Amino acid sequence: MNGWTTTATVALAGGLGATLWGAATGPLHRRAVAQNLASAVTAPALLLLAQGYGRPAYVDLALVLALLGPVGTLVFARLLAGELADGGQSPGGRGPTLAVAAYGALVVVVLCAVTGPSRAMVKLLVVGVLLVAGNLIASKALSGGFGTAGASAGKNAGQERESNGRG
Amino acid sequence: MRPWRAVRASGEVTVWWAALFALWLVLISTVDPLELLVGAAVSLLGALAARAGRRAVHDE
Amino acid sequence: MDDPLIVVTLLLVAAAATAAVAVRDPVRQALVLSVLGLCLAVLFTVLQAPDVGLSQLAVGSALTPLLLMLAVRRVGRRAKGTTGTTGTTGTGDGEREKAR
Repeated sequence: MNGWTTTATVALAGGLGATLWGAATGPLHRRAVAQNLASAVTAPALLLLAQGYGRPAYVDLALVLALLGPVGTLVFARLLAGELADGGQSPGGRGPTLAVAAYGALVVVVLCAVTGPSRAMVKLLVVGVLLVAGNLIASKALSGGFGTAGASAGKNAGQERESNGRG
Repeated sequence: MRPWRAVRASGEVTVWWAALFALWLVLISTVDPLELLVGAAVSLLGALAARAGRRAVHDE
Repeated sequence: MDDPLIVVTLLLVAAAATAAVAVRDPVRQALVLSVLGLCLAVLFTVLQAPDVGLSQLAVGSALTPLLLMLAVRRVGRRAKGTTGTTGTTGTGDGEREKAR
């Protein structure tokens, strides 16, 4: 077990454990933010494992996760738009999100420095950019940003309830 | 009008093709002629799909 | 050689699965199941099966939550249609029903 897999072990135990606890307990908004951060914390751990095992093919796992993790969060943000807006915003969603984004960027930079200038480094940079951008977009969608989609979904849900009561 | 629209359409497809092909070259593991051929073909399909999607969203 | 890593991942999977069973509401369960899918993908990677992990990521992060949430919505809508409103925030609907 070398340094990379040890770092990945600590990152998984701390990050994935904390987000699992956040997703299992607490109000709905905190659970959704925890689900978003879980995928954002696991992708750098997969990159560290790719370096630790010496198999560059494992970077593809982080690439797929960087693409599909935010998609899962957007599914929840769209289908839970009404309930997330009703429950009120829990403060303190920004801090952990920015911290996790910075952690992901740091891991990508360190791995790029280790890999050295090559196509593999450009691949790592692409994965890092997708990871940070996806994380920020998904968290913005959760907190009710992107006005039209969230607001219209909430209004549609309200109108559906009204028409069900009348009809 | 028609030739100008054809030029714009092919220009947009070419830009998409170049971006997708560059992404392909970065993401594959080894670069050999077969990979280049497959990448060029798939990038062309993707570029056509991207232009169709963009037209559907923007209602040109 | 990688024993601590495998042990940590197995414990995470066990904890996530227990949490998924302990949470009762289907909507909150969908969120926990998404995290469980992530833990499983990491377990498959650590056990040197990255292709299985790739399939798990592709299915478990976007597809399973979508199916679950759509099913919950469909069941909730059917229940509201037959028995009237059971919504948590529909105070206006309750008044309208009483007026009818």
